[in-house]
Amino acid sequence: MSNCKSSICSHLIKDHFGDLTQTVCDVLLQKCDCHLRQLTSEAKIPLDRVKHVLTVLIQNNLVTFQKNKRGQTEYTLDHDAILWRNRIPHYIFCGKNLYGDAAELLIEDIAHNGQITMSTVVENVTDKLNEALENAGHPKIGASVVYEKFKALANTHFIKQCVNPLETLCPEDIDECAVAKLYTVPPFQPGNRKRKLASDEEAQPVNKKIKTEAGASAADDHIYWTINNNRFHRYFTDQLLIKAIRSKIDERAGQILQTILRLNEVMTEDLALTSNPVSFIEIFQALPKDLQLSKQICEQYLTVMADDSTGFVNKIGDSGGGMYTINMMKAMTTICTAHVESVIQERFGSKSLRIFRVLILKKHLEQKQEISKTADHAPARSFYLFRVNLEQVARMLLEHSMKALMNTIVKREMETRENRRLMEKEERAEAIIANLERSGGDAEQKEEILQSITPAEKTQLKRVKHMINMLDQCELQLDETIFVLETYLQYCETKLKTKR
Amino acid sequence: MSVEVKQEPALDTDQETRILLLCHENPEGINDALIQEHMPQFDVQQRVTAINRLLSTGRIDLLKSSSGKLIYKLKDSSAADPVKGGDQQEKVVYQIIKDAGNKGIWIRDIRFKSNLLLTQVNKILKNLESKKLIKAVKSVAASKKKVYMLYNLEPDRTVTGGAWYSDQDFESEFVEVLNQQCYKFLVQKAELSKRTKEDPIAQRNGSFASSQDVWKFISELGISKVQLSVEDIETILDTLIYDGKCEQTIVAAAGDGGQTKLYRAVNSLINSTGLMRMPCGSCPVIQNCHVGGAVSPTTCVYFKDWLQLQ
Repeated sequence: MSNCKSSICSHLIKDHFGDLTQTVCDVLLQKCDCHLRQLTSEAKIPLDRVKHVLTVLIQNNLVTFQKNKRGQTEYTLDHDAILWRNRIPHYIFCGKNLYGDAAELLIEDIAHNGQITMSTVVENVTDKLNEALENAGHPKIGASVVYEKFKALANTHFIKQCVNPLETLCPEDIDECAVAKLYTVPPFQPGNRKRKLASDEEAQPVNKKIKTEAGASAADDHIYWTINNNRFHRYFTDQLLIKAIRSKIDERAGQILQTILRLNEVMTEDLALTSNPVSFIEIFQALPKDLQLSKQICEQYLTVMADDSTGFVNKIGDSGGGMYTINMMKAMTTICTAHVESVIQERFGSKSLRIFRVLILKKHLEQKQEISKTADHAPARSFYLFRVNLEQVARMLLEHSMKALMNTIVKREMETRENRRLMEKEERAEAIIANLERSGGDAEQKEEILQSITPAEKTQLKRVKHMINMLDQCELQLDETIFVLETYLQYCETKLKTKR
Repeated sequence: MSVEVKQEPALDTDQETRILLLCHENPEGINDALIQEHMPQFDVQQRVTAINRLLSTGRIDLLKSSSGKLIYKLKDSSAADPVKGGDQQEKVVYQIIKDAGNKGIWIRDIRFKSNLLLTQVNKILKNLESKKLIKAVKSVAASKKKVYMLYNLEPDRTVTGGAWYSDQDFESEFVEVLNQQCYKFLVQKAELSKRTKEDPIAQRNGSFASSQDVWKFISELGISKVQLSVEDIETILDTLIYDGKCEQTIVAAAGDGGQTKLYRAVNSLINSTGLMRMPCGSCPVIQNCHVGGAVSPTTCVYFKDWLQLQ
């Protein structure tokens, strides 16, 4: 666990949960597995506060617990899960793109609460939507609409049921049946928040200290749902491929690739090096109708993609009109290389980029690795051959990106801190104005309040807002680079494992 | 007392002429065994003397055949003339330089081949140069190295660098200009193909250009002072491949067999990566940067400048 990553985790926890949680997390970051007593003594916080903090963290899937050899419960912090919290806006955006506003709110609610029952979240979202619709003057919608979206999300595995950690022994014991059950949605009975029949007892409540709704009994469906991060990551990977093909060939090729990926969505396992083969007939039938591609053109696009130098798509047989697979390993390597080349071009110039590409293309030529002609490695008589080790470069750039991410977070915190007084003043002014509007104050009073913020302060505020926006956007873009590098390294590890 | 007419000198010249005749008849060269066959009356000593005399007068050449045997070849009389005035050593050196052809030969190699002292070789080289028989050419590979070749020969490309070097200087702007022109040509071809053709395979095939086409285009543009060959253009197109701006396929050529190389412009996969859109990506002191240090994100000058830009 690198120093940088730990600092980022610490800062993110502080951003999302506050100082107390940060203190507890710092201890967990340093000491890895801790039990309760240890935590309390290291963090110097009273026991009940520590318990409270741990509850919150477990609820948000950031801390797991298990019994150690001595029979004590030890708590472990999941670093990756913390970093994934940064991606929640991206998840929400995906949900909106795929399934619309209802899905967007569903994902936001689930992410906010960590783990939540289906009926609760459906009702929450329905209420929120109806409020917004009423304000805009549209008719209300029923909860069944939202329930349908929920089912859609579950069917494509974007959300999953929480597995009770007390019951599962180890991941290998979960057989296929159980995995399928993770995504089945129980029927929804609106208005029955309090007395809900548990239709299937798939999973028990996830932890003993969960905050239940006021008035809802524990017999409320015992099925809690949470966001399936891996699935979203697979989706992002697919998006990377589609974007690349779109810029390399054209838009329609991107659509075709999207269709193939969608057909493979729930079939292929995570981090498979090549996807399952799909026949041409399936692809053609699954294409969106508004593309209006004839069979011939579709086939031609597939041929072009298969022949292309990027090598994303491979044709492996002729049955069913042609069987096509997607070579994920090669695709990730190409995309990762493209990102690395972009770094080199921006940092060192086009000439350096040319040299770098020559080394990648020729693999072992040119000069640097020492090969000695004579027994002693005399410099005058040894050859040196250069080469590029992409995996090492990816790791180095990942470190670099993490550092940049931390710098961005720190800078943003600093800007917020320095201008806090000003921002609070603006907030107060806005609150007063809102109050006045509600109680029907006149324009004069509003003017007065607005005047209290001087023009100089206004420009300052604008500048600060602009800076914070830029830093936020910067974080998101950095996350994109981090995601590409991390995914590439994951695929490399999988490749190594399958070789052994 | 018997009087012996000294027959030998006449015989010797006679032998020499006969050897020369044999050489004429066998332009590939003759060896000892052949001479002995034709002139069995001369013994080894006379044969050796005759051959030595022919060698020293420069009428024949002594060569080693591939099997390791010595053969004698008739020397081109025109070539024999230039070093008539010089002595044996000069001839040897001259011969070595001539054998190097238009690649030229380095002074150390001359020394090894002729087994002469460095000072001697230097003197001979100066002599030959003043007689305008050889010249020194600086090699682009190693600028201190001078290679010697015959005066009237054109230096080979590997020595002068060919079209990309003018007087030992690498003409990078020239290469750049050609690079951009070729790329523009390929991009135009690809766009034309995309506009006019409907299906993707025809679009892709239409955007290909062979090295011949590019060569014709560049020659017609007339931006190059020297005449460029197709190989030259192919090296330029290779630089485009290394830049990631185009790609190459090899197809079977129409007509007389062999292969042609086709090139087409390609778009890049991504615009730029997130890391490089912010100052930390290209920061030179990122290794020293940490919170509370001399270089830190809170005091970073680059950040300040970047955030000020509206």
